[in-house]
Amino acid sequence: MLKHYASISLCLLGVSSLLSGQGVGAPPAYQPAPAPVAQAGGSAPTSGIFESSTFLESANRAFDPTSDSMNFEEGSFVWKGRSFNLTEQRAFRARLERFLLTSPSSEEQEYAVLMTDIMERLSVENTNSDEAMFETWELLFRASRFDSDGGNSTIVANQVFNAWRIRKESRGISMSQRELEQVRVTQQEIVANRQFTLRRIRERRLQQTSASNRDENETKTDGESALTSEDAFRVLDLAETEAKIIALESQTALNAMQAKIQFQSQIVSFFMQRRFQHALVLSSFYQLIFKGSQQQLEVGKDELSSFFPNTDLTFTVDTMSFVSREAINDINKGVDAVNTAYGEDRSLIALERLQETFFLGEYSPELNLIPTTQRRHLLDLYRGMIEAGDLAEAKDYNGVAEMVEQISALASDFPKNRILSSIETAKSVSDMAVFAASQYRNLGDIDKSRAELQNAIEVWPSNPSIREFQQETTKMATAGSQGVKVFDDLMGREDKRAIYERRMELGFALSSDKERLPIFTNVVDEVARIEMLVKQSEELVKQGNDYAAWEFLVEAAKINPDDGPMNRARADLAPQVADFVLHVNRAERQVDSGHYAGALAGYLAAQDVYLASRLCREGVEATANALMGVLKGEMPVAE
Amino acid sequence: MTPFKSLKNSHQRLQIIARAMLCVTAFAFTNCSDGNFSNLETLPAQQFLEKPIDFLGNTYSVRAQIDSQIKWEKGVGRILAVLPEGSSKRLPVFVAETVGDNIHIGQRFEMRVRIQEGGLVYVEALRKY
Repeated sequence: MLKHYASISLCLLGVSSLLSGQGVGAPPAYQPAPAPVAQAGGSAPTSGIFESSTFLESANRAFDPTSDSMNFEEGSFVWKGRSFNLTEQRAFRARLERFLLTSPSSEEQEYAVLMTDIMERLSVENTNSDEAMFETWELLFRASRFDSDGGNSTIVANQVFNAWRIRKESRGISMSQRELEQVRVTQQEIVANRQFTLRRIRERRLQQTSASNRDENETKTDGESALTSEDAFRVLDLAETEAKIIALESQTALNAMQAKIQFQSQIVSFFMQRRFQHALVLSSFYQLIFKGSQQQLEVGKDELSSFFPNTDLTFTVDTMSFVSREAINDINKGVDAVNTAYGEDRSLIALERLQETFFLGEYSPELNLIPTTQRRHLLDLYRGMIEAGDLAEAKDYNGVAEMVEQISALASDFPKNRILSSIETAKSVSDMAVFAASQYRNLGDIDKSRAELQNAIEVWPSNPSIREFQQETTKMATAGSQGVKVFDDLMGREDKRAIYERRMELGFALSSDKERLPIFTNVVDEVARIEMLVKQSEELVKQGNDYAAWEFLVEAAKINPDDGPMNRARADLAPQVADFVLHVNRAERQVDSGHYAGALAGYLAAQDVYLASRLCREGVEATANALMGVLKGEMPVAE
Repeated sequence: MTPFKSLKNSHQRLQIIARAMLCVTAFAFTNCSDGNFSNLETLPAQQFLEKPIDFLGNTYSVRAQIDSQIKWEKGVGRILAVLPEGSSKRLPVFVAETVGDNIHIGQRFEMRVRIQEGGLVYVEALRKY
């Protein structure tokens, strides 16, 4: 048995050290027995695990400050059915907290006004002459000087400039191409003339065939070879010119394609980065620079397809403009929703909507419409909920309860009662498991005790009852070795009350002692009954029913008249019930003397003091029977 | 032959028996109501309760109201709880079957009692008052 106690103690120490080391619920050091059913209200271990997981689910739902649109496990943020890549939660939290800690400045307001101005200038409603477009382009450099811009306006400006430069180069190439075409015409004429001249010479030579063969052959050879060589050179020049023209045409086409692709790539890049204003500005420039037949997107189709699943849309720059504008509108509505919810004291809803809006419009100036005080309030709420979630994960219920109070002070729409109720339930389950573990330990069923203890630790690792259980068990293990000697000493002194008070340790010590255990059990039962009667008597005294209280003490005295606490209670109560006790004592003395008639008189007198006396009723009945027996001659009578 | 036996018929015999019983009854009634109760001392109930042994063998008068019947035994009698006049405590008395017939709760009786062994209050005679 002592080995078992030591086993439990070591187990507790191990679990305690694990808990203190990790700060959270420790993993089980062993597997509990399969679902034993505890006595006296004990719980099955599995129920505690269920309760624990139920609390965690409830706490996770309540303390998760993120919006339903966010899924950190999959790393995505869903907006209008379109999925954005969500960065890691810690990084997002850092950016959100940074936003909540900063205050909107006048510079940011100026930047917002400037960007709005740029977008309006690029609208098709306004004049889109080259001069107007150039002025708008120059504004981009002003915008890029603001910190909020992050230099992205410069990128826009560079893209536009690049497109202009390529267009200018194309113009130069076109000029060269035109010149070459003129050269080609000339060369074509030369080549054609040379061929005509050569044919005439051949015809004239044929007419002069009468000349000597030698002279003829020499003349023919010299004249024809000279003409043929020149013609060949002219043809070569023409071919070279043709090749140059083709090369220039190819370069023009390549430059145009390159400019378009760079432009479109940057638009898609801005969109994916959620820089919707810049995407919109760049799209507007694109629409002004490139002609209508070049509006179809050549790049980023795969990225855009993830935003528009199950569709065979042809993506154009207009599509990008539309979606960007829709996102900006949604950010505006989100900011309005946050401010409205906060104004109506719905801070929890405000926080959820803020996160959605913040993620979508992190780089949009519209977020500056959220005031500084509101940001600080939501920051406190956000931090509080994260801390409460961490505490819930560690099953520190007291800490969670404190945080719940703080959070509900910040957000009146927080489901405070639901969490507190879950906490109380989990605590009760853990307490019941500890109680069941104590019961099993006292009964000597160590395996079940261990399983219940494991259950209690899993549900509530910091339950103070677990430490009490540990101390109690350690004490018992220590005292158990001396239990037999102590019991013998106490029995020798007839000190049953002391045995009762040390029943836990002695019970363990004597649990395998077949000789002493029955005696020990009887003593404990006896004193327990006395204790119960004394307690009931105390309750009746509190209710002002002294005579009934006395009768309970009389019953207790019948069990063991030497019990100290019982006699103290009798001594305390005796003055209040002296008249009743006087008659009862007199009656009992008469009974002892065999004077049943006198005893009957005593009981009747006592009953006149306390009419409901059970003691008197039984006394009257007993003495009346005895007296009648005497009168019938069946019983002896005292003189 | 005795004079009683010499009577000629049973009718005459019955007449004689009835007259004799009437005389006995009249004597008894006269004897009980002739002031024998009033000559007796009243039982000091309080002192008796404290130490009944001191009163053994004495005869007293007790004027009391019947409170309850504690026990009855056929052929023996009944034990009654009575409340004596001037006392707040009830007193048990034994009424033999030969002494009283119908006794009801709440009735008042004047009783001649003798204190017997064990402090038994034995009612020797009683009458309503």
